[in-house]
Amino acid sequence: MTRTLVQLSKGALLAGAIAGCLASSPAQAQVEIRFSSPPAWYIATNRPVYYEGRPSYWYGNRWHYREGRAWRQYRDEPRYLRDYRGRHRGDRHYYGRDRHGGYRH
Amino acid sequence: MRMLSLNQVAWMTALGLGACTTTSPAPDLRAEAAAQEADERSEAGLMDHHRHQHRGGVMQFIAMGLDTLDEGDAQRPQVQQLQRDMYVCMASSGEIQKRLHLTIAEGIAAGAVDLAKIDGIIGELDAAGGAVRDCSVAALDKLHALLNPSERAELVEKVQAHYEVWLSVNHEEEGTGRGRAGRLTRLAKDLSLTPDQVERMSAALHTALAGRGGKFDRTRFEAVVQEFSQTFVGASFDAKATLPYANARLGMHGASRMAIFYETVTPMLSPPQRAALAEQLRQHAGHHPDVSAN
Repeated sequence: MTRTLVQLSKGALLAGAIAGCLASSPAQAQVEIRFSSPPAWYIATNRPVYYEGRPSYWYGNRWHYREGRAWRQYRDEPRYLRDYRGRHRGDRHYYGRDRHGGYRH
Repeated sequence: MRMLSLNQVAWMTALGLGACTTTSPAPDLRAEAAAQEADERSEAGLMDHHRHQHRGGVMQFIAMGLDTLDEGDAQRPQVQQLQRDMYVCMASSGEIQKRLHLTIAEGIAAGAVDLAKIDGIIGELDAAGGAVRDCSVAALDKLHALLNPSERAELVEKVQAHYEVWLSVNHEEEGTGRGRAGRLTRLAKDLSLTPDQVERMSAALHTALAGRGGKFDRTRFEAVVQEFSQTFVGASFDAKATLPYANARLGMHGASRMAIFYETVTPMLSPPQRAALAEQLRQHAGHHPDVSAN
C-alpha cells in the first residue's frame, strides 16, 4: 500500500513536470487563447499575414488575430505561419521625416 | 504511509525542468534586440509623421492604411493606383502644409513664430480639406468594390489604428506635451533639452494649449471614424454619403496644435537648438507621400 502510494506520487509529479514542460514547447497541439492586442502603432505599420482567411500579426513572439472585435493568439505557432516567419524578416512600413513617404523593410 | 523526501521532490523537479530546457528553443538575444530596436524606430517614426503631416483627416488614414494592407497580388496594381489617386487629391493641402512647415521653420530660426501668419495658412488648410474629401470619394468607392470583406475589415482596423496614434500625439489630455507620445518628450530627446527647459516649456504649453483643448470635439471625430468603419465593412458603400466634411477638420486641429507648440517653445531654445529644429521642419516640408511599394 505504502509502496503504491509512493509510486503514484512519483508518477503524478513526473506527469506534472512533463505537462508543464509541454505547455511551453512548440510541439504542443494548437490552442487558441484570449490575449491582449498588438498596439495601434504596430497594426498601422505592419503588414499582416493571412492564415485561414484571417489577418495575423506577429507581435511579442506570438501570432495575434481578431475574431469579431476580440483579439486572440495562437499559443502554438501554426506551421504555415512559422514557415512564413522563417522566410520573411517582417513586413513593416517606416514613416517619419527622413522617410519621404515611408519604405518597406 | 511513507511520504516523498525533499530530495526526491527536488530530483523530480530538476528532471522536469531539465527536460524543458532541452526542448524549448534558446532565445536569440541579438535578434530580439534588433526586433525591439526596429519596433521603437517604427513607432517613433509613425508618431513623428502624425505630429506633422495633416493633409486630409480620415482620407489620409485610409491612404496610409493601404501601405500595409496585404491585398492579393492581382489587386495590388489597382490598389496602388487608387492610393495614388487619393494622394493626388491631397496635393493641394500638401502644398499648403509645405508652406506651413516652412513658415514655422523660418520663425523658429528667427526666434519667434508668428502665430497670426500661421493661423491664416491653417485656415487655408481647413478649406482645402473639404476639397480632398470631394475629390477622393470616387477612389474610395472603387476601393470598396475591389477589396474582399476580410481586406475591408483589415483596412478599417488600420484606419482606427492610425486615428488612435494620431490622437495620442495631437490631443494630450494634460496639454503639457509630456506624455509618452507628447511633442515635448520627443523634442527633449531630439534637441537634448535641459530639465529646466523641459519644465519651463511644459508650464508654458499647459497655458497655451489649455484654451484650445475645448475646440476639439473628440466625440464628434470618433463618430466620423466609427461611421466609416461600420459602413466600409458592409457589402454596399457610398463614400459621399458616409464621410462628412468634418473628417478633414482633424487635419486642421493637428496643424493648429503643431503651430502652437512650436510658437510656445521657440523662445526657450538656444540658437543651436533653434537651428536644428528649423531643419527638422524643413525636412517635414519636403515630405511627399509615395505610393506604397508593398
